Amino acid sequence: MLNGRFILYVLGLLLIIEGFFMLLSGGVAYIYGEYDLLYHLTSAAISIVLGGTISFLTKGVEKHIGKREGYIIVSSVWVVFSMFGLMPFWLSGAIPSFTDAFFETMSGFTTTGSSILTDIESLPHGLLFWRSIIQWLGGMGIIVLSLAILPILGVGGMQLFVAEVPGPTPDKLHPRITETAKRLWVIYLGFTVAEVVLLLFGGMSIFDAVCHSFTTMATGGYSTKQASIAFYDSAYIQYVIILFMFIAGANFTLSYHAFHGRFKKVIQNEEFRYYLGFVLGISVVIGTVLYFTESNLGIERSFRDALFQVVSIITTTGYATADYLLWVPFLSLLVFVLMFFGGSAGSTGGGIKIVRVVLLLKNSYYELKRLIHPNAVIPVRFNNRAVSQSIITNVLAFVVFYIFIFGAGTIIMSIMGFDMVTSLGAVATSLGNIGPGLGEVGPSENFAAIPDFGKWFLSFLMLLGRLELFTVLLLFAPAFWKE
Amino acid sequence: MRVLIFGAGEVGTHLAKMLCNANHDVILMDEDEEKLQQIEAHYDLMTIVGSGTSIGNLKEANVRSSDLFIAVPPFQDMSILSSILAKKMGAKKTVSRINNNEYLAPDNKEYFFQLGIDELIYPEELATEEIVASLKQVGTRQLFEFSDGKLVLFALKIRDNAPICNKTLAEVSTMHEKQNYNTVAIMRDGETIIPRGNERFQHNDLAYIITTHDAIPQVLEDAGKVQFEVKNVMILGGSLIGVKVAKLLESDYNVKLIEINKERATKLADILEETLVISGDGRNLELLKDEGIKKMDAFIAVTGNSEVNILACQLAKKLGVKKTVAEVENIDYIDLAENIGIGTLINKKLIAASHIYRLTLRSNVAHVKCLTAVDAEVLEFVAKENSKIIGKPLRKLGLPKDVNIGGIIRGDEAIIANGDTVIQPDDKVVVFALPSGISKIEKMFA
Repeated sequence: MLNGRFILYVLGLLLIIEGFFMLLSGGVAYIYGEYDLLYHLTSAAISIVLGGTISFLTKGVEKHIGKREGYIIVSSVWVVFSMFGLMPFWLSGAIPSFTDAFFETMSGFTTTGSSILTDIESLPHGLLFWRSIIQWLGGMGIIVLSLAILPILGVGGMQLFVAEVPGPTPDKLHPRITETAKRLWVIYLGFTVAEVVLLLFGGMSIFDAVCHSFTTMATGGYSTKQASIAFYDSAYIQYVIILFMFIAGANFTLSYHAFHGRFKKVIQNEEFRYYLGFVLGISVVIGTVLYFTESNLGIERSFRDALFQVVSIITTTGYATADYLLWVPFLSLLVFVLMFFGGSAGSTGGGIKIVRVVLLLKNSYYELKRLIHPNAVIPVRFNNRAVSQSIITNVLAFVVFYIFIFGAGTIIMSIMGFDMVTSLGAVATSLGNIGPGLGEVGPSENFAAIPDFGKWFLSFLMLLGRLELFTVLLLFAPAFWKE
Repeated sequence: MRVLIFGAGEVGTHLAKMLCNANHDVILMDEDEEKLQQIEAHYDLMTIVGSGTSIGNLKEANVRSSDLFIAVPPFQDMSILSSILAKKMGAKKTVSRINNNEYLAPDNKEYFFQLGIDELIYPEELATEEIVASLKQVGTRQLFEFSDGKLVLFALKIRDNAPICNKTLAEVSTMHEKQNYNTVAIMRDGETIIPRGNERFQHNDLAYIITTHDAIPQVLEDAGKVQFEVKNVMILGGSLIGVKVAKLLESDYNVKLIEINKERATKLADILEETLVISGDGRNLELLKDEGIKKMDAFIAVTGNSEVNILACQLAKKLGVKKTVAEVENIDYIDLAENIGIGTLINKKLIAASHIYRLTLRSNVAHVKCLTAVDAEVLEFVAKENSKIIGKPLRKLGLPKDVNIGGIIRGDEAIIANGDTVIQPDDKVVVFALPSGISKIEKMFA
């Protein structure tokens, strides 16, 4: 029997938490004295009252979370958070269309960063802040946050944790899941604060520094400026953001080890090495080509632009300092391929994830060896350990789903009348939680022109991507609902 | 408390679950990844694939910061070695499971202590003690003595013929001038009930009763148990437990031991001087009849196979043996065996687990006893000067619903607790607690 009352109870509690964050952005609106204050407060009141009522009515229920309850809670909380999170945008009239508001909010929570706004700077500060903080919450994960602050979820918390944290096998930093969640959030918060301070040194205003730090650490990509990071013509600011995007795209477990002085563990981590290798290697290629094709850029600028775009796309942040669509086709295509890599497991990034890409490539390469030596036992080794066959199968299934959904999604987009490049870009960027796509949805364009159905469809893809396919797809599997 | 468990066998797994429920930080280590995955999916603990005998793996498990290291791998050598390593690497306390009687001798224990093993657990030894204790008091399912038998806890099956059947606890307490026993729990249809005064005894209830030594005959009479003396004992299975039980009983009882393996039987006949060792299959009814099973007062089935033990006991009951004891190692069978009326059930893993569990509790817990049929523990606490529990009558303390205070030992006197009882410092208090209540009651004694 599905424990439906407990699911409602948890959702109610989480809604209260969302309400408190709305109050926080209400505080920002109050400081700036802008018109949106009332709408933040209304949204907060609705969320807190409704959440409180639901959890009050269902309290005292048996606190048991099985596998199915876990997947339902995690999937539905992201939808519920977006449904309520869109209220400040929608009620205030800043985004008059409900579909647009949902798209913008889902794109925020899933840290995609695709926007339908055509004039971001016209938004009041409170709404800009809300837009950034939903990315920050979605980055480390709503469930991980709740595990850290709601002890009640400790029971069966592992089910929830597994369903939300990216990567094939989540690491634990502490025997207890609530403690692991706390440590992750402390590191996350610590990096965010550090970035704010460094950006302030670069001359950014405190408001912009906070908002950009939120969306960098979440690998979200919402900026408070229409021109994104290109607005800041400062090499220092761009390098700071590159550094923090890179950190956010690495496994947070590694940051934890680094803080404890265990640098060897970081350096020896195979995924991290590949991550670093991909970033540097591809940046050098792009930088070199840029230097020779864009004569006016100069050597530092070429490599900075290359590094920024590469880190931004591979970590699925989606900030832009240059329009990669204006580069030579070879480079645009390279960036497109990068969209599928994604960050590391246990990071805030989306995409397929480096570890999966590497495991699959290794497995395919070993398959050649296996053909020559049919009786040989050749396990895939990762981090100097043989990876169990069940994980390889899981990764294979993931990538097959990913490619299939990508293909089917592209076809659906093209039915709506978009050209091939735009369709490919829009689906890849939504599924990978990146932000900018190709063609009509490139880095200097936005998603406003997509029809309503397309926006709902892309929002769904974002959710699929953020929860790494399985969590959401499971809900559509008949086996999931059979007793 | 941070606990590192090496070995995800049945004892290790059971301990991990118990400790998790008691909110300890548990790390479970084993070489079998699949076993670990299953546990990790259901419990809030960390698992590490590796061996406790590997220094690298121990480091990875951060043994340095663990408060307790429990070694319960399949082999004794691994268990001892891993505890020695763990202690040297900084574990505060270490426990090893062993299977050699010699090591337990007080003189020899010192060697292990010097090596860094604080506590040795020998599950077969503990199981043997329990079997022998249950034979001493027929009519009961399980029996524990506290403070040299001043207080006794036992489990009794209530049947239609019991005078207290269909009476409430309040009515039962008025049956005698002085309340001299206390029902701390009732197990009914697989559920453990902490009874209040209005709870009614029903047919087939398993009642957990705490009483003083002198009042035992009266309790048995109220429960409709006919007293008889055990003279003839038949043991099925020449396992370690079987041999140990035979060894302990053979001087006072007529003991017959049936062992299926001829070689083993020959060896046992050499060890057991007074026991009649029979080589044969205990599942053979003719053999049992030939050996006079009908004349037996007690039948103890301790083969390595739980199914055989259960069925053999069932058979013995049918043939008229009044007291049967079965070793049931498959934890899932316990409920079933309890319901079909096997008699006393022994599970050495559960016994060992609760023995080790005591070490994770604060020092004011003197004993923990595991109750086989119910998911609960009986603990003996020592009240301190500043414990919350002292100075007030029990009914005014607001005790948690999932615990029940059974009795108190004050100096040489044993007291059966009721609502008016006031606990004093240095009292030893026997408490029955469901898993959810252990940490709550522990705080009240802190």
